[in-house]
Amino acid sequence: MAAAQDSILADLTEMINAVLGDFATDQVITMDTTFRDDLGMESIDVVSLAGRLQARYGDTVNFAHFVAKLDLETVGELRVGQLVDHIATSLEGDGVPAGSR
Amino acid sequence: MVKANGITLHVQRLDPAGPAPVGRTGPTPTAVLIHGMASDTMASWYFTMAEPLTRAGFPTVLYDLRGHGRSDRPATGYALDDFVDDLAALLVELDVTGPLLLFGNSFGGTIAFGYAARHPDRVAGIVAVESSPPTPEWMRRVRMRLERVAARLPREGALAEIGAARGRIAARRAADTGRMLAETTMTAELPASRLPAGDALAAIACPVLCLYGGDSAVGELAPAVQGLLPQTRVVVLPDEKHSVLIDRPDSVRRHVLAWLGEECGLDVAPPVTT
Repeated sequence: MAAAQDSILADLTEMINAVLGDFATDQVITMDTTFRDDLGMESIDVVSLAGRLQARYGDTVNFAHFVAKLDLETVGELRVGQLVDHIATSLEGDGVPAGSR
Repeated sequence: MVKANGITLHVQRLDPAGPAPVGRTGPTPTAVLIHGMASDTMASWYFTMAEPLTRAGFPTVLYDLRGHGRSDRPATGYALDDFVDDLAALLVELDVTGPLLLFGNSFGGTIAFGYAARHPDRVAGIVAVESSPPTPEWMRRVRMRLERVAARLPREGALAEIGAARGRIAARRAADTGRMLAETTMTAELPASRLPAGDALAAIACPVLCLYGGDSAVGELAPAVQGLLPQTRVVVLPDEKHSVLIDRPDSVRRHVLAWLGEECGLDVAPPVTT
């Protein structure tokens, strides 16, 4: 896994745990972790995570656009790795190396 | 998170992806998306309409109603007026001053009509999914529905049944709905809400789109809505249930975008799916 992805995954892990609060699990979050089945995240938790992503990365990472292609059923099947890759690609497209933010 | 009307509301704002479509004149309204009562949150709108609206050039605001999602859950204050007060205060806090397109799912639509009855000049259009303006007949149905849920959830085995049928997350959400109904006065307070005067509702002059699921009983209210607000466009989606927004977001989007162009003079470029 590229260094950029590594640091995004670390960021994302922190945000996911903040969103889950009392429901946070002890399990290690990897690229293959699923939001619904592994983390038990509800759709509103995913919205809350989207808000944190917007605050962290700005509009460069258009999470709403990313999930608009999903519906409420499939958003739960989303894997952490898919989101990490989306963020990495968005940041690269912006011309700023992800690791430097 | 935004402090409004004395409580903290969970709010998400999405900005338009680009400039308003060429040829559109006048100020661009802000879309405000209001979810339904008891087991709903802003997620129902977030994953269905929010993105298409920003693509169509509208700044979009979503929030969790008091008691719901990640907003505060005060013990009391669950009458229609409280929800309308929250919306009015939230718009002030967010400095949203221009025209509004109000979207409401189920009771969220009722809040939209309640706001429009108080601030008719602010509202450029209302989309109500499986909903009705605040009329005595609709509130009677809301009471029945709330009381049924409030009676069912605390029963032994109810959550296990939901979990077995619809999974662990559905059970967790049902447990939260049960806590909300047990910890707040909503079940008693909401159906007993003071309603806007009939002439204040009838004075709502903006375009209205009411969408119903063909298999849902809420559609029985459509003639009364058109009697009250003759400008209302009613669309019934055959074979759909009360959850039509979540089950058929593609159809809902199509009807909304057509209505925006035809009735509101807000032409929208067809959303490009990439």
